Amino acid sequence: MLKDLLYRLRALFHRREMDAEVDDELRHHIERETEKYRRAGFTPDDAARRANLALGGREQIKQQSRDSRGTKFIEDLLQDLHYAMRSFAKTPGLTALIVLSLAIGIGANTAIFSVTSTLLLKPLPYPNPDRLAILWLRSPGIGIPQDWPSPGQYHDIVTQNRVFQDTALVIGDSYTLTDRAKAIKVDGIQATSSLLPMLGAKPLLGRIFLPEEDQLGQPKTVVLTYGLWQREFAGDPNVVGRAITLDGQTHTVIGVLPASFRLNHEVIPTVGGIDKPEFFMPPPDDAKNPANYGSENYNILARLKPGVTMRQAQSDIDVIAARLREEKHRDRSFTISVVPLTEQVVGDIRTALLILFGAVALVLLIACTNVANLLLSRAAARQREIAIRAALGAGRMRVMRQLLTESVLLSLMGGVAGVSISSLSISIARKMHPGNIPRLEELGMDFRVLGFTFAISIFTGVVFGLAPALRASRVDLTANLKAGGKGLANSGLSVRHDKLRGALVIAELAISLPLLVGAGLLVRSFIRLANVAPGFNPQHVVSMDVGAYGPQFKDPVTRIQFYQQLSERTRQLPGVSATGAVSALPLTSAVGWGGMQIEGYVPPPNEPELQVDQRAATPSYFSAMEIPLIRGRVFAETDTDKMPRVAIIDQKMADRFWPNGDAVGKRIRPSDDSPWITIVGVVGVVKEYGLDTETRMVVYYSHTQRPSGTMYVVARTASDPASTTAAIIHLVNSINPNVSVYDVATMEQRVQDSMARQRFAMTMLGGFAGFAMILAAIGVYGVMSFLVTQGTAEIAIRMALGAPRTGILSLIFRQGMTLALAGVFVGLLGAFGLTHLMSSLLFGVKPTDPLTFFSVLAMLLFVALSACLFPAGRAMRIDPMVALRTE
Amino acid sequence: MAEERIDLPQGTLDLLILKALALESMHGWAISERLQQISREALQVQQGSLYPALHRLERRGWIKAHWATSENNRRAKYYKLTLQGQKQLEVETATWRKLTSAVGRVLDTA
Repeated sequence: MLKDLLYRLRALFHRREMDAEVDDELRHHIERETEKYRRAGFTPDDAARRANLALGGREQIKQQSRDSRGTKFIEDLLQDLHYAMRSFAKTPGLTALIVLSLAIGIGANTAIFSVTSTLLLKPLPYPNPDRLAILWLRSPGIGIPQDWPSPGQYHDIVTQNRVFQDTALVIGDSYTLTDRAKAIKVDGIQATSSLLPMLGAKPLLGRIFLPEEDQLGQPKTVVLTYGLWQREFAGDPNVVGRAITLDGQTHTVIGVLPASFRLNHEVIPTVGGIDKPEFFMPPPDDAKNPANYGSENYNILARLKPGVTMRQAQSDIDVIAARLREEKHRDRSFTISVVPLTEQVVGDIRTALLILFGAVALVLLIACTNVANLLLSRAAARQREIAIRAALGAGRMRVMRQLLTESVLLSLMGGVAGVSISSLSISIARKMHPGNIPRLEELGMDFRVLGFTFAISIFTGVVFGLAPALRASRVDLTANLKAGGKGLANSGLSVRHDKLRGALVIAELAISLPLLVGAGLLVRSFIRLANVAPGFNPQHVVSMDVGAYGPQFKDPVTRIQFYQQLSERTRQLPGVSATGAVSALPLTSAVGWGGMQIEGYVPPPNEPELQVDQRAATPSYFSAMEIPLIRGRVFAETDTDKMPRVAIIDQKMADRFWPNGDAVGKRIRPSDDSPWITIVGVVGVVKEYGLDTETRMVVYYSHTQRPSGTMYVVARTASDPASTTAAIIHLVNSINPNVSVYDVATMEQRVQDSMARQRFAMTMLGGFAGFAMILAAIGVYGVMSFLVTQGTAEIAIRMALGAPRTGILSLIFRQGMTLALAGVFVGLLGAFGLTHLMSSLLFGVKPTDPLTFFSVLAMLLFVALSACLFPAGRAMRIDPMVALRTE
Repeated sequence: MAEERIDLPQGTLDLLILKALALESMHGWAISERLQQISREALQVQQGSLYPALHRLERRGWIKAHWATSENNRRAKYYKLTLQGQKQLEVETATWRKLTSAVGRVLDTA
């Protein structure tokens, strides 16, 4: 085998020498053969003639010898490539256009594929990730699609399940790391010791947690991630055993995790909304109490026993959930669902991703169609050349092979350019940072992506090359050579003569229409979304998270004083008209909710405990945000802890319990053991979680009566937001250098960021659809202009016979619009069938929104019409005398 | 004379070349002469197909070529059977024998 290959390689590289050898060999043969005949008595001439005759055609033998050396395929290929490059060089403009179309088509596919591959194909970086699951509570019957479980439920599941090999209870939160120059906020996770081994984490330094650390009364320990160890401890190799202070409490570092260990919020969305934990600690005491069913703030992660399916696990947990439903009086729709971790990570991005993938596949299809069309025009111009090759003995397969080599070469060049385009678009996508696209940091080119690109390049090369090659290789020799290479004279001025081209253009228009409709629907959704009133006025408002916690803020009074002092000094800043603070600002990851009881309201049996969002706010928070006061009053500085407890509720809660508008003066309380709190005001509803998300009911407490240590400070300012922000941070530092500021943004930015995903989808699909439309327009233009070229003679004759120029114009337009209407009609059918797939991406717009359909239709027809303009103009300017003379 | 000759069946040329080279190494013309002589002029070997066949056998590693001076003092390309070629000859001879005897049996009994 190897010898064979070496021989072939030698034959390939020493081709000339080997040919010369054959020549020598054949010459020797002829000489000897001639001698033989001469000795037999023939004349020298006759002998030589007989010898040559006996041997046969020398060139043929040489060719056959070459073939039997096994290099024919490659030699032909090299020849074809050489020839292809030469013909590309002759038509650089056309070649560039083709390569560019393909590059964008292939590039877009590569980019989307690399996202899809990372999310849907690449396994999570944990051992046996298909056996990992996350558990969620669901009560769809009472409007809770998904909620966090409690330690009580965890203990029930641990003791009663028969399907899990391992389970872990997890809670995440933000902490302040002190005893350093400046306090910093770090996110961490408290979890049972089972979590890290379940995810395959092994310590880089020291150890991870022991099972006994799940018990009460253990020393406080912490395991650092690689990132935190490097950043805050400068990679200190002796960090194990060191004491660090988190939220004022001393913890001993027992280990460091390797850099490869990753646990992002998309894997475990904790109730605290932390993005990425930077350290791990044993579970809090709260988690160790099996009777704690109230604190629904935990995540449960589980690893299935080998051989157990997700379905089996779900039915096992269903039994436990049914028991809980009875014993704990949950609503009838209560379930606990077992979600495969892969599913959790991909989540609702799957639909968007598949739609985008479908869209880029369609774009590539259009690009192929277009290139096929361009190649057809080129093939038509090359008919004479191909006819000559055929006349010289090139077989049909040989001609096709050469044409396919050209198209595959084109698509490979497109592929190479496409890879750079997709790298570029991935880095743009990273910059756009579409909020919740998971595992974005893992994104990139890998062998799988490159393999995919290579495969689709070859595939597209064959797809768009096949039709033109088939057509071109079927040449009518005599007709072509006689016609002098101008193509067949009988192809008149009608697309009907050229069904293939007509079909390609119809296909292009038909494919681009659903794309445009999809993009149009997303644009309409986005506009709808952007017009949703957030319930506050985001303009000219700066905001930041100011954390007054840690040991020196243990006394609640110090917190109240700090924020009051900050508020007073902020108000005096130039340009600031109002300032306030709230414990959980809308459109941030901050949350806070809990149970609520209403005086005189007895919930019907089976209705779960009332859960409402709860916030602590300062008196001027509402005016700073311009959240309208509907009834009663806002908080006052006099609402201190010496005074009766007061609360403000939002309109949603007021409407639910006091539809007659008499909420003010009524009383509520968070639990049985807390005092009653009097409602003093009703404010407008605020979009807390996103413009497209229904809000829950909200109760605001006065910060002076319920001091929180993490408050978002907002300030409405007439001057530059950046300088106001800087000024406030300066104030914070001058009041107390130990207080840290995080998450700084203007409210307008927060509103924009909350729409990042929708904007991302809209931009992507819009871009693809726009490209599809441009390609379709080029397609229409190409066909019409080819038609005019081919039909020049006919037009000239018509003109010579007295046809008016406007008649010619309408002839061309009629042809073009017939194609356009046919394409648009097919496309409409497709769009009606496809757009419902994207209903989950739409907001306030139906998938069959007539306005969108109508505008897209009009736009596409207009574009097609414009694409006919130039060819029609050219047809009108044909001079019959000149045209007929050249024919 | 020409009518009595039979054309070589497909694939047998390789076998005959190997057989001819089993005795001694030869150049192309000599091989063609030898084949006609030992077949008593009964086989029609297309001289033109001899050379591509030689290249094919060389590629498969069954024969080796080298340039040498021929019996009448001219440079000629000599072919020589390799060890692998010898084995191949044995295999092909056995196959051929089996084939002809089987075909013969069918013809005799039918």
